[in-house]
Amino acid sequence: MKNNIKRKVIACAIALAFPLTAMADAKYDALKQQVELLQQQLQKVQAALEQQQAQSATKQDVAELKQDVADVSAQSTEWKTSDSIVHLAGYGDVSYSDAENNEAAFNAVRFNPIIHYQYKDFLLMETELETKILADGTTDVGLEYATIDLFLNDYVALLAGKFLSPLGQFRQNGHPSWINKLTSAPVGFGHDQAAPISDIGVQLRGGFNLGNDTSYANYAVYTANGPVLEILGGEIAEINTGGRTSNDDGELVYGGRIGFLPIPMLEIGFSGATGEVAGDEEPNATRDYDVYGMDFNYKYNNIRLLSEYIKQKVGSAANSESPASASWDAFYVQASYRFMPTSWEAALRYGEYDAPNNDLDQKQWALGINYLFASNAMIKFAYNFNDGRQGTLADSDIFQTQLSYGF
Amino acid sequence: MMTTLIQKITIRQMILAMLALPAISLFNVVSAAEDSPLEGDVSRGAISWGQNCSRCHEMRDPKEFTDVMWRPIVAHMRLRGGLTGQQQRDILAFLQASNNPTPKKVATNLKVSDSSEPSQSGQATYNQTCIACHGADGKGALPGVPDFTKSDGRLSKSDDVLIKHITEGFQTPGSPMAMPAKGGNADLNDADIKSVLSYLRESFGQ
Repeated sequence: MKNNIKRKVIACAIALAFPLTAMADAKYDALKQQVELLQQQLQKVQAALEQQQAQSATKQDVAELKQDVADVSAQSTEWKTSDSIVHLAGYGDVSYSDAENNEAAFNAVRFNPIIHYQYKDFLLMETELETKILADGTTDVGLEYATIDLFLNDYVALLAGKFLSPLGQFRQNGHPSWINKLTSAPVGFGHDQAAPISDIGVQLRGGFNLGNDTSYANYAVYTANGPVLEILGGEIAEINTGGRTSNDDGELVYGGRIGFLPIPMLEIGFSGATGEVAGDEEPNATRDYDVYGMDFNYKYNNIRLLSEYIKQKVGSAANSESPASASWDAFYVQASYRFMPTSWEAALRYGEYDAPNNDLDQKQWALGINYLFASNAMIKFAYNFNDGRQGTLADSDIFQTQLSYGF
Repeated sequence: MMTTLIQKITIRQMILAMLALPAISLFNVVSAAEDSPLEGDVSRGAISWGQNCSRCHEMRDPKEFTDVMWRPIVAHMRLRGGLTGQQQRDILAFLQASNNPTPKKVATNLKVSDSSEPSQSGQATYNQTCIACHGADGKGALPGVPDFTKSDGRLSKSDDVLIKHITEGFQTPGSPMAMPAKGGNADLNDADIKSVLSYLRESFGQ
């Protein structure tokens, strides 16, 4: 009996053990798969981590990068913060001219570089060279001006060297071809005519407020070597105001200009100078030298009005080869109008020039049409109706075209 | 002879008067030193630039030159134009503020945010930043600047377009130069621009 029971118990145990064994195998397989999957994932993570580590910057890399940025930053800002600055400006032009009784020709090519060298905010060295091709094909180079300018304070600057004459407006501000609205200077305002060109000496100039936000005045006073007379054949041929480093007569010239701007865009200027002058071959035959001038400049929207009068006068000198007094005077009135929104503008000017040599006397109407490619580049077409002594160049009408560029 | 003598005296007196001007200027330096700010001011510079530079030549676009290049140019023009040192600094500040490229983020965010408040009235912004070129009457003080009072003029555009133009800068066809971004005044926020546009429509719109 007992044996039967034992057999049954063993049989039952064996019967129960088989399913349990089967279940254990299934779990093992599942776990094995999970472990294998996890291993694969871990390998991927490790690979990704290794790749990331390979591509990541180390602290040393970051430090080097920061140093590079600092170096580049220093290089990019050092020029902006430097004490000295050099700058090239200037203008150039090419002209074509067709005059009555004369051959048409491309008669002028000029290049006038202007160099500015500034030290901090109180010193500026500025110079302009005029290079141009002469009729015989040679190149002429002239020093238009070269000054060392000291900004003494907000209202006074001291200039020393060769400067453009501060008498009037055209010679000091209006003559560059990209500014001048016509192809030529007004009659009497060219070289060796009524308007002084430049001089060598010292000058004080500046501006100040007249008590409100819109009214200002500016001034320029100078002392310089002054002009010299060219005397040929017993007559004063011309007055040379180009500026010389010699002063044979030993007398300096004193002069200046004051400009008033009572309202914005309107300027009225008064100029004057006085001193002694002599001929280049007769330094002891000194005579009085005086200059008077007045100028006017007004702009309203598209209209610009300019006018200027200037007179140079020399007294008599008994011991001169040409003892009589002489005077040169000139004036002009000019209006220009910009046809907005187009790039076209028109200019009209009337001028007169009276010289000691009557062959040089001239009256002129100048009519011009300009096309502005940019604010500093234009092509100008002008016809000058000239009226002078019959048969002289001053009486010859001229058509001119000029391409000019200020930079 | 008397006439000549009178002319001579007159000229010499005039010259002496001119020689006295630097002394007057030096006096002005002393009297104005305390209330004269040393730094350049963009708003004042815009006005000085508009009132002085075009007196002799066409307006040069501020973007023609870099900040560094403008320094000697404006120093040179101070001498040519008879400007004060303060005007020089103001004009330089304006030019250096007006030649910067428009930040790209502006182009993708043209809507005016309502969250910011204008720093001042639209009229104050106009008088500070815009008046130099656009004029007190809105008709344009310089060649090429549009007339706001025309019924078919600039103000006939939508607010979105005008805000874009003010924010990014704009060059009127045929105009020799472009209006700089925010009129050259980088301090203007979105609300200031919206405010000044409202002022333009109220004051000059048809």
